Amino acid sequence: MGSADLPSVVAGVAVIALGVLLMLDAEGALDLSFALLAPVACAATGAILVASGLSRR
Amino acid sequence: MDANDPQENRPQEGTPGGEGPQAPPPGPEGTPTEPMAEAPGPPPPPPPRRLLRSRESRVIGGVCGGLGRYFNVDPILFRIAAVALVLFGGAGVLIYVAGLLLLPSGDPGDAAAASNAQPDGRRRALTVAGVVVLLLVTWPFLLGGGFLVAGLLVPIAALAIAGVLVWWLVSGEGPSGDAPDIARRAALGVGVLFLCGLLAVGGAWAAAAGGGSIVAGLVIVAGLAILAGAFARPARWLILPAVVLAVSAGTVGAAGIVLDGGVGERDYRPTSASELRDRYELGMGEMDLDLTSVDLPPGDTAVEIDLGVGEARLTVPEDVCVAVDARVGIGESRVLGVGNEGVDVEVDDRPDAPARTSRLLIDADVGMGSLRVRDESDPSFRDGDSGLGDDGNRACLEAENG
Repeated sequence: MGSADLPSVVAGVAVIALGVLLMLDAEGALDLSFALLAPVACAATGAILVASGLSRR
Repeated sequence: MDANDPQENRPQEGTPGGEGPQAPPPGPEGTPTEPMAEAPGPPPPPPPRRLLRSRESRVIGGVCGGLGRYFNVDPILFRIAAVALVLFGGAGVLIYVAGLLLLPSGDPGDAAAASNAQPDGRRRALTVAGVVVLLLVTWPFLLGGGFLVAGLLVPIAALAIAGVLVWWLVSGEGPSGDAPDIARRAALGVGVLFLCGLLAVGGAWAAAAGGGSIVAGLVIVAGLAILAGAFARPARWLILPAVVLAVSAGTVGAAGIVLDGGVGERDYRPTSASELRDRYELGMGEMDLDLTSVDLPPGDTAVEIDLGVGEARLTVPEDVCVAVDARVGIGESRVLGVGNEGVDVEVDDRPDAPARTSRLLIDADVGMGSLRVRDESDPSFRDGDSGLGDDGNRACLEAENG
């Protein structure tokens, strides 16, 4: 775990979370709206950028 | 006494061998040796200042940092000016691209920078070509007719900068080096952008056409691949396409865009209640539904509108009470003079109608675009389409007022 690439770990988790959200919407278990999608997408993108920045320091 | 002053280092006349404290030792023939040979000479002239892109103070390509160093002012002033020029007319983009192409990269005292500053044949040719291109780009602006050029070249320059930034994000290679390196990275970044654009359009289309589960599955698989690669061989190049695919499909899902029903223009003008369908559907395009010729029976009559992308226009009889339950993912709604716009627009206006009054129940879903409902007294659909001249749900108001 110590040698794991931090941006890839964070990005992988974020992309999986987005995919699960999309799957729930496609299957009708969730009514996706911009009020939900926008903060989730921004949080995912921000987490990836922060992890990428931390790995370069 | 100044050791650098030759007048003071010169031996005194008539004192060979020197009696003074600073007299030089005599030479072989008893003549004083030449004192200037040992005295430090005048300081060498400072090297000429060269305008270079800064490697130390850079945000994008070091152009503003280099200008600040050259003029000995804070680079933030040039950055503010560059942003202002980008916002007001876009000239800042051209100027910055010119700086990227024409100025070598380096810092004072840097041997590589010194060699970069010496124009060889290839670099001279690139410089001349850059100047010619810039002149071709900028002279229409100077003549006041640059709108056409601005409409074409400013976006291209912005695309090149976006390409550099994207490649920086994907590969970690920043905008350093000479013009060919930057041009190569810009091209690679634009290529990545193009692929992401294709992916976004394809993913959005697939999700809107009913393949939302498949796209979601692809996103999850991509996420798992990125996560697995973190422990073996990182696949950072996959991050941007995966996020683009997820966001494009998510936008389609959040807007509720469904492309069932085809593409094009639909014009429905039923003439009787029996011709009125329960549901009108269109995937992408414009839909007109004119109900002014329909004599609606007393009581409720429901009609459902589903539009993926485009504009839906409904015209209702003047003596009908209208109840609307509508959602617009991205866009606007204009319902009997009341307007809303933005994302996740919802209209829920369902007034009661007394007995023997016709009430039309409109249930509308528009993914992206606009929904307009007017009664036949409102000429806005034909004359300017202001959508604000209507005086409200008149039939319901008359019913409420007794």
